[in-house]
Amino acid sequence: MPNIESLSFFLPELFLTASMVVIILVDVFMGPANRNRVVRQLSLAALAVTAYLLWVQTDPGEAIFFGALAVDPYSRFFKWLFLIATAVIFFVTPYTSQLLKTARHEYYLFLLAVMFGLFLMASAQDLIIIYLSIEIVSIGSFVLAGFLKGDRHSNESSLKYVIYGAFSSGVMLYGLSLLFGLAGSTNLFDVQRALASITGPGDLILVAALLMILVGFGYKISMAPFHFWTPDVYQGAPTTITAYLSVAPKAAGFALALRVLGIAFGDNLQFPADQWFPVGNLAIGTVIALFSGLTMTVGNILAIQQNSVKRMLAYSSVAHAGYMLMAATILNTQALGAVMFYLAVYLCMNLGAFLVVILVHNKFGYDDIDDWRGLGFKLPLVAVPMGVFLFSLTGLPPTAGFVGKVYLFSVLISSQQFWWLAVLGVLNSVVSLYYYLRIMKVMFLEGEPTGETVSDHPAMTGMILALMVPVLLFGVYWSPLMGWVRASLKIFTPGG
Amino acid sequence: MYTDFAPILIFSVLSVALILFALFLQRILAPTNKSALKSSTYECGEEAIDNARMQFNIRFYVVALVFLIFDVELVLLFPWAVVFKELGLVAFVEMLIFLLILTVGLIAVWRRGDLDWVKMEVPYARGRYAQLEQPLVDEPAPEMAAELEA
Amino acid sequence: MDSLESYLFIGLVLFCFGLYAVMTRRNGVAVLMGIELILNAANLNLVAFNRFGGLSEQLPGQVFALMVIVMAACEAAVALAIIINLYKTFQTIHIDEAREMRG
Repeated sequence: MPNIESLSFFLPELFLTASMVVIILVDVFMGPANRNRVVRQLSLAALAVTAYLLWVQTDPGEAIFFGALAVDPYSRFFKWLFLIATAVIFFVTPYTSQLLKTARHEYYLFLLAVMFGLFLMASAQDLIIIYLSIEIVSIGSFVLAGFLKGDRHSNESSLKYVIYGAFSSGVMLYGLSLLFGLAGSTNLFDVQRALASITGPGDLILVAALLMILVGFGYKISMAPFHFWTPDVYQGAPTTITAYLSVAPKAAGFALALRVLGIAFGDNLQFPADQWFPVGNLAIGTVIALFSGLTMTVGNILAIQQNSVKRMLAYSSVAHAGYMLMAATILNTQALGAVMFYLAVYLCMNLGAFLVVILVHNKFGYDDIDDWRGLGFKLPLVAVPMGVFLFSLTGLPPTAGFVGKVYLFSVLISSQQFWWLAVLGVLNSVVSLYYYLRIMKVMFLEGEPTGETVSDHPAMTGMILALMVPVLLFGVYWSPLMGWVRASLKIFTPGG
Repeated sequence: MYTDFAPILIFSVLSVALILFALFLQRILAPTNKSALKSSTYECGEEAIDNARMQFNIRFYVVALVFLIFDVELVLLFPWAVVFKELGLVAFVEMLIFLLILTVGLIAVWRRGDLDWVKMEVPYARGRYAQLEQPLVDEPAPEMAAELEA
Repeated sequence: MDSLESYLFIGLVLFCFGLYAVMTRRNGVAVLMGIELILNAANLNLVAFNRFGGLSEQLPGQVFALMVIVMAACEAAVALAIIINLYKTFQTIHIDEAREMRG
């Protein structure tokens, strides 16, 4: 679709950009008094309008901007996830004691910019847009991770983030350039057509290109062995940002990786193609399976040894990337649906867990697991939802995490491939039970009911309870969510 | 099509091997007898008076960073300028929007005072400049402020 | 030497140099230079593929390279700002000396 006609299908992103420009101007022309509050309210209004525009958006039926972007149901699913995550972070930021000493007006602007990049990542169908969108997200997150200016940990985390991020996106760009050379086009569908006709030594270059591209995606979703930045960045960054990074860019990374691999490396032009393209002697599914097994094992084993709750949740998020990759080894509708379902559930439970970390930090300044002793008696309204989130992260019924994990495993079982990976996944879930339940034990079984209860913060507690609702609801009645996922499994293929 | 990639593969293996070989050679061949005289700076017989890596004022960096971004963004103008006539009004408007966004960035930098070489308080200034003595930080949200004191 | 292979070879050498610099350097700015080398290696590839691949009509490779140049500048600006910030808090720009978080 040509450029001018495309604009009407690009309204949410256009509005987001325009509102950022306006908010910057408002920000610099007003005095420091009330600046944080005004910028936050304007940004929230911008989020609301963006959500409305996304809601009323119609299907263009084909990719817009000459095939560069696709505003298909698949991308819209992820855009809603990003909107929800961003809105939750906006909501809790003023109640985060870590950020109180900092001027926060630019923080909201950076979050909006990152969300714009995430929107592009969900829609990208062109190598140029893929690179640009990843960089937009990365650059915004680098700044956000180091937002506590004088804080040594925050500094260190943004430094590590920027070094790892710039490096892996550079390697990925080199891979993309090789892919462009092999295909002679930047459009993913053209790439697929060109790859199908390649034989001989080109295969080796294709393998190299694929692995280099996997480095970039692996960094975004914190897949081992490209996860080294994860614990440090998660620990050092402001906790709101940690919560955001652990859900939104990870979901975007999965959205983009599945789209790129599913189109360019699929056997035919359908999406998903049901069959990987054979790249030389390399079976892509096996490569992803190896990464998946490594990722979940590394994440879980290192999570056991952690004392800091934030660091433990960081390794747990690595492990969850491994679980989701487990389904991504198979290229079919069921697998994509399972990953999308799990990402939606993961959004609620991980955000919830991090909000509890923020609240506990506000109240007591605790960060180590041992400091959480007796939390169940002091703050029951927070400790109980935390228990639910931990159950869900482990994958125990009756929570949504259980349903999500069942879907992930059923992909492997119904396709009858990678049995070892399914076994490894189950073993890893057992390992994860240990460190999740350790927090439960500290919260509920240790310490004594002193009778004193701390007043909990109503707004934060309300948000945590609100996030607990879907985790419990989708644990017993998940068909609406699964129905939405199924309806979203559609992208626009050229000529079909 | 680019199917004939075999030379690249050979090159890649060769270049990696070359780096490793050079490192290995340096490890075994290079003599390592260090002395203070040997590692001192040679300045045509003059005594070196200062460290060669002199420190720049940090303000140079801020200006340089701002310059770098605006300078490089203009790269995007060149291809547009070449085909400007054929593209017509639409491309012109698009580029105007792009420049507008860049200008907003410049205004932001300017208003924040990052372009000032010496940041000072000027008596006739308004807005941000007049309030330089105040911290640029908001008061905490009222509900949190009460809690923090408790 | 006006062939695709020669350009790709130079690109590959640049890539290897960049990789080497990133892996061995302690100085944050030098690591950034290595990353820039990697990006420029990719740029060279893109432009060379465009020139020798019969794509002279649309120039997607050239456009890609321009976008990468602009993005690299933004990234370098942010990274340098972060390194300046690091210097202010840690009094060093050696990236291996900023390691207070362990586990």
